[in-house]
Amino acid sequence: MSIEVSGLNKTFGDFVALDDVNVSLPKGQLTALLGPSGGGKSTLLRIIAGLEKADSGSVTIEGVDATDLPAQKRNVGFVFQHYAVFKHMTVAKNVAFGLEIRKRPKDEIERRVAELLELVHLSQFAHRLPSQLSGGQRQRMALARALAVEPSVLLLDEPFGALDAKVRKELRDWLRRLHDDVHVTTVFVTHDQEEALEVADEIVVVDQGRVEQVGTPDQLYDEPANDFVMSFLGDVTHLGGLTLRPHDIELDATPRLAGGVEGTIARLVRIGFEVRVTVHTVDGDEVSVVVTRAHARSLGLAEGRTVWLTPAAGAAVVPRMVLAG
Amino acid sequence: MTTYLLRLVAATYLFLLVAWPVSLVAVNTFDDGFASIRALFADPDIVVALRLSAYVAAVSVIVNTLFGVTISMLLVRYEFPGKRVLNALLDLPLSVSPIVVGLALVLVYGGRYGWFGPTLQGWGFDVIFSTPGIIMATAFVALPLMIREVVPVLEEVGVEQEQAAQSLGASGWQSFWRITLPSIKWGVVYGVVMTLARSLGEFGAVKVVSGNVLGQTRTATLVVEEKYLNFDQQGAYATAFLLAMVSVACIVVVAIIRPKNQH
Repeated sequence: MSIEVSGLNKTFGDFVALDDVNVSLPKGQLTALLGPSGGGKSTLLRIIAGLEKADSGSVTIEGVDATDLPAQKRNVGFVFQHYAVFKHMTVAKNVAFGLEIRKRPKDEIERRVAELLELVHLSQFAHRLPSQLSGGQRQRMALARALAVEPSVLLLDEPFGALDAKVRKELRDWLRRLHDDVHVTTVFVTHDQEEALEVADEIVVVDQGRVEQVGTPDQLYDEPANDFVMSFLGDVTHLGGLTLRPHDIELDATPRLAGGVEGTIARLVRIGFEVRVTVHTVDGDEVSVVVTRAHARSLGLAEGRTVWLTPAAGAAVVPRMVLAG
Repeated sequence: MTTYLLRLVAATYLFLLVAWPVSLVAVNTFDDGFASIRALFADPDIVVALRLSAYVAAVSVIVNTLFGVTISMLLVRYEFPGKRVLNALLDLPLSVSPIVVGLALVLVYGGRYGWFGPTLQGWGFDVIFSTPGIIMATAFVALPLMIREVVPVLEEVGVEQEQAAQSLGASGWQSFWRITLPSIKWGVVYGVVMTLARSLGEFGAVKVVSGNVLGQTRTATLVVEEKYLNFDQQGAYATAFLLAMVSVACIVVVAIIRPKNQH
């Protein structure tokens, strides 16, 4: 294990940011800390980096107890949401910073900086100031700067959160490819489930200071531990006593399957290739169902029609929580 | 319409209060060419006074830069009990009359009756009626200027760059020198200019603690007063003009060298 966190607690005044958190993050993987804002995931990351101090608990990095080590001794690369570029230094100087602090020979620094700028596609900007770069370029520079010191772990705090959607998507793919090349143990914080599902090898779902579930994207999506994980990873709806995804409900115009729930179509919304159907069941539930355009047409769906709903075979379902939305 | 009116009000106000009186000082100084300025530099006692003022201002700038930046870091980057009290105390030198500052220093460091003065004098160290006292009074009065310039800049810069530096292996000291100081550079430069101007111009506190001994502890501002009271108006205006010019020169130099894209 590359990072071991055990029994971590942290409060800010009355607010409980972390509540007895235990996580092991394997070496060489790309792990996402996923959860809603204010759930404690950034605090966890900052405690691992040594930028924040836990009230109790311990952090071990690569077998070394880092609980009481200051940030500068942890050999951790940290990337901030708002880049934290050194504004008064050129791009090359920014990247060279960690190496200069470590008093590496000049020619080695130069070579390494050139390599890293190549890696993040910023070679032609080496002598510019960060203020002359776009947000995405600044974040790539920050990443190169963090990688320059060959950290044992790379931590990214909502690294793409301040970027617009298109750049975010590009950088996300690029981070995945970069990780496949560099293989440094990487942990990134995100509140975007799509980002986590797409990029991460493993996802740690954090909410209200607690770890809700740890697993691969497939495990989380297919076998969510509870209602919260299920609803955080995508749209959900409720059918009978179950929570499941709108596209995992079979919709029929006739009572074909046993256990089908009867209902009336209240609303039909077509978005591109899919049709979102809202059904009021005889049990009094309002159920969302997503079907393809072709399926909807073949069944002749229309508002006011009676339909029968059944969970699809192999659907991911969890029992509905009493107060779940 | 409103903007024009406001501009007119501001311009009139500044003209009547600042520009006109100060320009008259210059006009009076050069009534008969450079004669009055030359006369100043011909008088050895006045040269001593000018030198003393420059020396006191320089030391006060150094001391206040060191303490000012340190206290600003403390105020912005750390939480500690009594922070609000410290913050309020730092405005005291601005709100209290400099005369009071002078008297307070005499009470503590006065050679004969002061609380701590006789002890210091026993060690052969005079504070009051001597250069150290003048420096202390000046530094005291000018202390808030550096802090009030640096604190907002430090707040605006934020802690992320420092944290990034630390995670890259920099010690607190390295991150201060390489990251914090360059980012607050212009705040410090402005603080230095303000402190320098204030220190050169300090009068009340210095008058109390210096003893105003001609050729020894009389500073340039005291020379202005002395000359004015002795009906040497020309000399008073010339000295005042010199003092004002140094401050104006500082501000002009900073305005020129400050890069435009920095705010």
